[in-house]
Amino acid sequence: MFHWLEKNPFFFAVGVFVVIAFAGLIEILPNFAEASRPVAGLKPYTVLELAGKNVYKKDNCIACHSQLIRPFKSETDRYGQYSLSGEYAYDRPFLWGSKRTGPDLHRVGNYRTTDWHENHMMDPKSVVPQSIMPAYKHMFTNLADIDTAYAEALTVKKLFATPYDAPNGTPLGTHDEAKAAALEEAKAIAADMKNQSVKDAVANGQIPEIVAIIAYMNRLK
Amino acid sequence: MNSLMIKALAFAVVLILATVVVVKGMNIDLSDPVNMVTILGAIAIAIISAGVVTKYIGQMKTDKSTGELADEKWDGIGEYKNELPSGWAFSFLGTIIWALWYWLAGYPLNAYSQIGEYNEETKAYNAKFEATFANPDQATLTAMGESVFLVQCAPCHGETADGLSGKAQDLTNRMSKEQVLDVIAKGSNQLGYPMGAMPPMLATGADAEAIATYVAGGMQGTAPAAFATCVACHGADGKGNNGAAPNIAEYDDAVVSHVLQNGKKGAIGAMPSFKTRLTPVQEKALSTYLQTL
Repeated sequence: MFHWLEKNPFFFAVGVFVVIAFAGLIEILPNFAEASRPVAGLKPYTVLELAGKNVYKKDNCIACHSQLIRPFKSETDRYGQYSLSGEYAYDRPFLWGSKRTGPDLHRVGNYRTTDWHENHMMDPKSVVPQSIMPAYKHMFTNLADIDTAYAEALTVKKLFATPYDAPNGTPLGTHDEAKAAALEEAKAIAADMKNQSVKDAVANGQIPEIVAIIAYMNRLK
Repeated sequence: MNSLMIKALAFAVVLILATVVVVKGMNIDLSDPVNMVTILGAIAIAIISAGVVTKYIGQMKTDKSTGELADEKWDGIGEYKNELPSGWAFSFLGTIIWALWYWLAGYPLNAYSQIGEYNEETKAYNAKFEATFANPDQATLTAMGESVFLVQCAPCHGETADGLSGKAQDLTNRMSKEQVLDVIAKGSNQLGYPMGAMPPMLATGADAEAIATYVAGGMQGTAPAAFATCVACHGADGKGNNGAAPNIAEYDDAVVSHVLQNGKKGAIGAMPSFKTRLTPVQEKALSTYLQTL
């Protein structure tokens, strides 16, 4: 048999490939299959949170903020429990980032609140005097794109079977139902805010970007 | 002794002399065992190389090929049907045994894990922390409290703990008049004290105003008559009847710990719970630090 392989280098190469590929499969696949599964209790993003996530992407928060807490004592002391890959199961795409000009945000919802974000986005130096983060005042006037967020949720629901409208999942419903639900969620956040023009806008059925990004920040736990 | 052996010995001597020259030239300290072992190793390599080279080159020169040829020929080049050299065969068997051990026990039981390293690091750190701060004195607690405060609390309460002009609780002061009025109007059941919930509207109108002014003013002078409503739970001195209800006169260990554990939503806004983020010693340190403000 070995003489035959020596005389047929093509089949020898195929054999080598099969052996190495098999070793790779049994090392990589079981681990990957387990780690990529959503962690227990993880729910897909609501439409408002997705709209906030889009604001996060649009304003390029990822350029300065990471969303991945590494398993080092110094990081878990500051940011909380280290990140697990299953926590990003519904992130399309995940926003790990690779740069920490500002702090990590993966669990910012555990230790910052709606009113803090409101002060901070309007004028970061008013709460963190040495901050070099620019103000994001336009978030208070620009409106969040709820329609795109709904389309995104619907797409991942249909394409990847993300558990929207599933038991213990996140309700999505029709376009109108989703818009109404997003507005309800926005009202609860606006109630904790101080900015009158934001409160008025939400009362009139509009959702400024600041409300969406706060919904997203509060969700990061 | 043939010429090959002489050449090899001469080469070994040159190598050893070169080693000695380098050792002298670089002033290498031979009392250091690592250096000594390295030198001896270099000398051994020179002698062994000379011996091995002599043996095998000599063999190549004198040995004649014997044995049975295999059937196959490749472009006229044949191959002997030799037995496997026993050293080679035993090392091959050895690697098979090692592979079984490595596959079944070696890798699964000894593999590196980043989370494992993290767990060990955390365990070692916590043990060290507990040993170092088993009985901290006041100065240690204050210093620790300040550093915890700057990392965990200052982003909202400000570095001087003044609450950044009303954006968060002013920790240099127990309660403002607005906060007292807010709690009286809405009641409170957030902090998990043994006394339980405080019902809303225990006092109204002028009574509430009088209580708020008295409490916010640091409980100086005579208490207004309406304060009797508060005394039942918070005590005549407002200190909370030894931990049964929140201390409304000043920050103490109990109130700091209860707020850190449960979070709080008040007149200013919400504070998240810091449960599991701080150790009991750190909570105590934080409260000690707040009391110095």
